[in-house]
Amino acid sequence: MAVTTQKAPAASAPHRRPLLRRGISFEAKMLAPAILVLAAVSIFPFVYIIVMSLSQVKLIGGISFDWVGLDNWSRLISDNAVWVSWLRSIVFFVLSVGLEMFLGIGIALAIYETRRGRNIITSLVLMPMFMAPVIVGLLGRFLTDSTYGLYAWLLDQTGLYNGDILGSTTSAFIAVTLMDVWEWTPLIALIVLAGLSSMPKAVLEAAEMDGASYWARLRDIVLPMLSGVLIVALLIRSMDAIRYFDIITNTTNGGPADATKIIPIRLYETAFRFFDLGYAAAIGLSMLAVTIVMANLFLRILNKRKGLAQ
Amino acid sequence: MAYLEHVTRREALLRAGVGAAALALPGTLSACGGSGKQPPTPVSTDEWRQFAGTTLNFISENTAPTSAIAANLKPFKDLTGIDVKFSQLELTALVQKVALDFASGLGAYHVVYADPYQVLAPYHAAIADLNTFNDDPNLPKIRDLKDFIPTQLDAAGRFVDRTKLYALPYDAPTLIWMYRKDIFEKHRGRMQDDLGFDPFPSDSSTWEQFYEISSWIRKNASGDVPYGSGHQAKQHDSLMNDFSNVLWAYGGDYFANGQDVGRYGSDDPGTPLLDRPESIAGAEMYRKLVSIAHPASTGWDWAGLAEAFMAGQVAMGAEWHEFAAGIEKSKIAGKVGYARLPRGPKRSANMYGGTGIAINAVTPIREQKAAWLFVNWATSPETQLSNLKSKVGGGTPTRQSIYRLPEVEAARKPPSAMPNVLTTDAVFEAWTPQNIGLRPKIAAWNECDTVIFTELSKMLSGSQSPEDCMRNAKNGFEGAIGRAAALRKQ
Repeated sequence: MAVTTQKAPAASAPHRRPLLRRGISFEAKMLAPAILVLAAVSIFPFVYIIVMSLSQVKLIGGISFDWVGLDNWSRLISDNAVWVSWLRSIVFFVLSVGLEMFLGIGIALAIYETRRGRNIITSLVLMPMFMAPVIVGLLGRFLTDSTYGLYAWLLDQTGLYNGDILGSTTSAFIAVTLMDVWEWTPLIALIVLAGLSSMPKAVLEAAEMDGASYWARLRDIVLPMLSGVLIVALLIRSMDAIRYFDIITNTTNGGPADATKIIPIRLYETAFRFFDLGYAAAIGLSMLAVTIVMANLFLRILNKRKGLAQ
Repeated sequence: MAYLEHVTRREALLRAGVGAAALALPGTLSACGGSGKQPPTPVSTDEWRQFAGTTLNFISENTAPTSAIAANLKPFKDLTGIDVKFSQLELTALVQKVALDFASGLGAYHVVYADPYQVLAPYHAAIADLNTFNDDPNLPKIRDLKDFIPTQLDAAGRFVDRTKLYALPYDAPTLIWMYRKDIFEKHRGRMQDDLGFDPFPSDSSTWEQFYEISSWIRKNASGDVPYGSGHQAKQHDSLMNDFSNVLWAYGGDYFANGQDVGRYGSDDPGTPLLDRPESIAGAEMYRKLVSIAHPASTGWDWAGLAEAFMAGQVAMGAEWHEFAAGIEKSKIAGKVGYARLPRGPKRSANMYGGTGIAINAVTPIREQKAAWLFVNWATSPETQLSNLKSKVGGGTPTRQSIYRLPEVEAARKPPSAMPNVLTTDAVFEAWTPQNIGLRPKIAAWNECDTVIFTELSKMLSGSQSPEDCMRNAKNGFEGAIGRAAALRKQ
């Protein structure tokens, strides 16, 4: 099949005319509306934000751009506060995505092994991910409030922690991380569960017949077969984790002592509190670059795995 | 006058009634204790009805007066024939929408809740000068401009150019000392013996005494209330407000001539003074106060502190006086005392958080004139009194005459139908020029505010000393002011 698709254009090559002389093909005409919409919603804003990052944006009397070259970018590179926010983002990313993967796989395996009430359990487990993140933030703030919060009260009664959860640097960071883990672990569980359901049962049964223990089957058969699915799950969550915003905004707003001011919070603050839109555009583009690099990394791993499998 | 051709008999009678009511009200108010010297302003139905059929958009913070007006807009509609659509938002969201509206040039909002520091100072160029409308012979004038509390008229309404008036004072929340009267009374004798001073707030009460009272209650009265004091020390605007009272009390300030920078605003506030010894002393005192307070204070903004106070978690704190409306409906109703904040070595300072309402200069002139009718009406004595009585409102009048009305005077003692009036003595003391606390009204305030509350939050978390905190804040202020100036350079 591959040979055919490569040869066909070669055979027709002598008959090809330059694009302008040929006019717009039927396919291109059909694609044009979609391309125009894509340009309007994606390409134009992307170019616009690049121009913003190279300008000083003024709001009074209508938006105007003053060209400042790479000033915003050099400020970004030399801004310690931004680097600290990136560091916090990385710590948050490792903790939240790591915990979500670990717990999500564990929950999916447990549900997969459950024979009775599986649908009800699955529905209950998936519930947090159907909530809007802003609601999760409000709920988290309510539950951790030191005056009437259930979790604050439980921690105090058990003697585990008697300070204000969102008022101290370490506990606030842990709390907002766990709120994200609570909401998005079900997504990982769902993806893994889908992967488990599509696994060939015969292979697992054969291994079991051969006397392989549960852990041996998990290590040598299940996880390797799930690795493609796991990378997709990791990719989805990683891209989301870099943009984590709603819950922090509704709970700590970056505090205390900047302990939860990860990069999206700093971006928002720069753009919509200080209205320093040129600099905010540079921060936003740096986030986009990191997300693209990360996505490419995961896709490369995925493609490598596919290559090995074929 | 062409519109009169289409007026039905019923409408004509209604307008005549509204006109008569509008004419009668000023007289009624002055008879109730207003200035009494002022002749009633002639109000014709023509000048109020000339924009009938217009729809205005009013963007406001979700505050008591707006809730009250939104719940009872009928008097304005009857008077003018103008409809008003309300957008009530949290302040940060409001600032974003207003800034983007000014930038877009669309003029989606005709009337703007113009926070003096976050809207008026940075965007005054896009706000109409109200004198234009007040001087227009075809439009109704402001009824007795001098009736507005003078410091508030300047702080909420002006920016740099004192001949221009950008906004009329609309609300006036001010930080005052709220304390549990019942607990203070119960332990008054013992506290006096142990501490050597009367714990009840007085003119001579100091922040040092506030600390000692808080400490005493924590040690000796935790059965009544777990903590002596609470603070709104979350990394938030509230932390700047709470801290500034102590900063000013200890002689520190944000800029030289700080009261003028706060009252009239400045384009060039000069070098920040936060690294001066007085400012550092203020920061040290504030850290000391928070160290003895409820540990959750570092997670509370004003709403969090109010909830904790109402839940009986703390015996006292510095809180916005408009929270009295909620407090007097809670389980501690009738048990709370209100006083001016303690003093430091320099003075007592009480942060003023009032705001004016302004007209968006981007909108067409006819709509601006219609908006003027609303701004004028919404800040009139009748509307402020109505807001004060409103079950959904509980506003904070900005006109002096309201507080002199017999029914308002009568409400100054509990049980009160107008709980915010219980704070009258405290706020009037707080609003005197020597006691009022006015943060800098400068274009860079949004960023400076973030700098100061972030550095303070770091200090309270123990990651830096008060000295480092103030030095870093000063550096942050300088950077922010420089960037704001660059953004405004034409």
